[in-house]
Amino acid sequence: MKDFKLKTFIIIGAFALGFYLLYPTFADFQNTKDINAQVSEIGKQIKQKQPNISDNEYQSRLTKLRDSLLRHDPSILRNREKRIKLGLDLQGGMYLVMEINTPKLLEKLCKNPNDTLFQRLLSESEIETRTSEENVVSVLSRKIKAANKRMSLYFDFGDITATDSDIESKLQQQEKDAVSRAVEIISKRVNQYGVSEPNIQSQGSRRIVLELPGISNHEEALNLVQKGAVLEFKLFVKPSIAFTMMDKIDKVLAGSDSVKTAAKDTTKQDSEVNAKEHPFWSLAMIIDKSQKISDCSVRTEKVNTVLEYLKRADVKKILDEAGAQLVFDNRSEKAGDGKTDLTRMYVLNAKPELTGEVITDARAAMDPQKNMPAVSMDMNSQGTDEWATITGANVGERCAVVLDGVVFTAPYIEEKIPTGQSRITGSKSMEEAKILEIVLKAGALPAPVEPMEDRTVGPSLGQDSVNQGLNSGMFGFIIVSLFMIFYYRNGGVVAFAGLFFTILISLGVLAAFHGVLTLPGIAGVVLSMGMAVDANVLIYERIREELATGKTLKASVDSGFKMSYSAILDSNITTLITGIILYQFGTGPVQGFALTLMIGLVASLFSALVFSRLIFDYFASKGQMIQLG
Amino acid sequence: MRIFHDLNVDFMGKRRIFYTISSVILIFGLINIFVRGFSFGIDFKGGVEVTLKFDNPVNITELRDKASNIGLGSVEAKTFGDETSALLRTGYTELPAELLPKVQSKVEDVINAKYPQVKKTLVERTATFISYHVDSIQALDGVVKALSDGGFQASKLVSDSVKANLTVRLGVSDWIKSGLREQMTKTNFDVQKSERVVPLVGKELKRNALWAIALSLIVILVYLGFRFKFSFASGAVLALFHDIFLTLGIFSAFNGLIPWLNLDISVTVVGAFLTLIGYSMMDTVVVFDRVREYMKIYKTLPLDVIMNKAINKTMSRTVITAFTTLISVTVLLIFGGEVLRSFAFCLFIGIITGTYSSIFVASVFVLEYSERTHKKIEF
Repeated sequence: MKDFKLKTFIIIGAFALGFYLLYPTFADFQNTKDINAQVSEIGKQIKQKQPNISDNEYQSRLTKLRDSLLRHDPSILRNREKRIKLGLDLQGGMYLVMEINTPKLLEKLCKNPNDTLFQRLLSESEIETRTSEENVVSVLSRKIKAANKRMSLYFDFGDITATDSDIESKLQQQEKDAVSRAVEIISKRVNQYGVSEPNIQSQGSRRIVLELPGISNHEEALNLVQKGAVLEFKLFVKPSIAFTMMDKIDKVLAGSDSVKTAAKDTTKQDSEVNAKEHPFWSLAMIIDKSQKISDCSVRTEKVNTVLEYLKRADVKKILDEAGAQLVFDNRSEKAGDGKTDLTRMYVLNAKPELTGEVITDARAAMDPQKNMPAVSMDMNSQGTDEWATITGANVGERCAVVLDGVVFTAPYIEEKIPTGQSRITGSKSMEEAKILEIVLKAGALPAPVEPMEDRTVGPSLGQDSVNQGLNSGMFGFIIVSLFMIFYYRNGGVVAFAGLFFTILISLGVLAAFHGVLTLPGIAGVVLSMGMAVDANVLIYERIREELATGKTLKASVDSGFKMSYSAILDSNITTLITGIILYQFGTGPVQGFALTLMIGLVASLFSALVFSRLIFDYFASKGQMIQLG
Repeated sequence: MRIFHDLNVDFMGKRRIFYTISSVILIFGLINIFVRGFSFGIDFKGGVEVTLKFDNPVNITELRDKASNIGLGSVEAKTFGDETSALLRTGYTELPAELLPKVQSKVEDVINAKYPQVKKTLVERTATFISYHVDSIQALDGVVKALSDGGFQASKLVSDSVKANLTVRLGVSDWIKSGLREQMTKTNFDVQKSERVVPLVGKELKRNALWAIALSLIVILVYLGFRFKFSFASGAVLALFHDIFLTLGIFSAFNGLIPWLNLDISVTVVGAFLTLIGYSMMDTVVVFDRVREYMKIYKTLPLDVIMNKAINKTMSRTVITAFTTLISVTVLLIFGGEVLRSFAFCLFIGIITGTYSSIFVASVFVLEYSERTHKKIEF
């Protein structure tokens, strides 16, 4: 009996775990429904008030509204994170596979790219690799060898003794770096653009896979992905000028809001009055009270509001007059209370001192003297001259490194740098330094990426698919269960409970491992329902056979289970093998199918061998037999 | 309730009948494969596919004609799911160069029709986009909207308070859309899905698919050789070949016959084939498991008697599992929607042949092998 208790405990635990894992999905479904209802209600109001609002404006306002409703309650976000995520085919969105344009990259790396032989060989290699799957680098290297030239004639990595194969592997490395650079840049942009839950990763040595849920405008998405990165070095606006300018912005913003009435309304809280009177200063907190530097902190969730302010024509005018620009940092940091996320805002000159094309190389390394990570960077001769002038004239000032309009670091200039070889310290970790290295290189070698595969599913098709999937799942479950109960009577009821358990666990595991449910994935669940009862069928048929030979109840149940083991294991292992291969081979939706099929099979094994077994044993121990039809 | 209780059929004795049945269907299928071939989706061929949803039922022939006179050669058109949806497919992944001037003037026409006052200067025209300098920011939103109504995707890039850039994407799918919008002014349609795969990627996907199938066959051969005997493993893999080719043959034969059944070979269909392999294997293993068990118990009985006994004993399980799985697949076939239909169809055929082949290919092969080599197989 003790054994039963333990097993019962395990099974109840598994059921509870299944429910626990699936609760967030259920809660999120309800939350989303509520939020959508609220958004469409407010959307209607907006349309009523401003009948000729532009489509873009309308959509962006709704998106912002949805965001703020989502953030309003932390439990909504928590549930959202733990829910089963839907694949792009179910929620609509864009799937992109981009490939780095290696020939362009090689042209940039080449010492003398205008050499006619090099040009010819490169374009030949490009054409050749279009039809084969060979790497451009190795084809080019082969061609250069065939032309009786050395690689070092065209590529120079600072080591004159480098052999051809050294250079070839260096070039392959550059190609790989270019991919990680592109991933870094694209991720930043996509996050700024506000795509929820994007997935961006590199695939192989030259591809990047992007999944952008909810995006349906190709043009915008591709723009986001393909635009060359802009790296700039910008100096800071003098604090006194910066503060006057921000005061002006504050006044302009306050003037446009209906400030008069709010100020008189004494029942309002101070902070609210403050927000009305000083819409800008209430968001931007001055970091240095002595006003020696003009940096401000903005609560991260308010960054978009500030950016929205900055787009206004009257605000723009003030900025243009001052020749200034308000730019945010790429990271947010925790405030003193350890809870609020703050993002730093800098007041920079609008005009860059220097752009990233002058950078020839950047490396992150540990500084042996200070034992701190540092990034060193080299510049070409033109850059070196300009850099010397800039640094010479601004010793003691800060210079911001801005990529695509976001500040990555803003170190102080310690001395004039005449050689073009600069070192940036102040990174908190090696990881941070690595990112800075990538950023600096991004300016040096903007890696052109081209779409190889792009698939867009509209939201309406996605919703249809969800409904079809749910219907299939429900019908499949009902019909299979009814059949089992009809055929095996009480044994069928046990199989039905097992089936329910299988589905619960499959979906629960999917949620726990952050798996993605796709339409083929739903097909996998439906199919595994049909196959899941196989183990029960095998066992039941065997028990019937054993009973027919005249064995006792208990003995029949025992050997029924025992004799079925090998068939159940062997048959499921072969199916699992194909599942694993399918998962390896497949992309997106098909992987989802392989995943749910495999989880379903394993869960069905557990339900047949442990769950059903327990119920049969329990009744057998009481001398009762579960009726098998 | 029970079916096949105490079944006692001499399956092995009747095997020649089943050789004939299998051969006839296989030859019929192979003829179809060679004569009619398959229609590969863009997953394997490369190209652009657009799925459109119309407000009203649409005439496919008419749609095909309209789509084929926009300069992209003949465009394939099929119904997709129901009469109001259509799938268009072309092998082009980029607009041909000779078409570009025409596209540009079309873009400008669309803008001029609504915003003749907007001044625009061409900045750049490549194979994939055109960008303009536009001097009035106020009108830009409207211009983007007008272009999108005309089937083009555009975006604006505001550089300062007066000037802005307008970029219009020149994709194959955009050109199809705008071509259809122009010719079908009365019918409204939405784009539900658009997919573009570069031929090189298609080739890779095709190679990966073949590898995946070959790999799973090899791994199964090794696993079963290890768990049973090599002759058993060979029989099982032979049965898999039988199932794959038979299903492929039927795929080819049914392709294009039924309007609501779109049997393009896509990545999802390859997934279905791998699942079919898994199912067929599972079924074969259950029969083999029983054969192995009886071979240990009845050491003196001839193999064909043992096989008949094992098959008869497992028959009710075989039929019930095939039945419940077929229920699931049929549900998917009916309710799963257009995307899953070819997948479900493949499995529907696959489950039937997979069940059949466990007995009449896999088991029979082991018997034939043992009889011809006069080797006694022992566990």
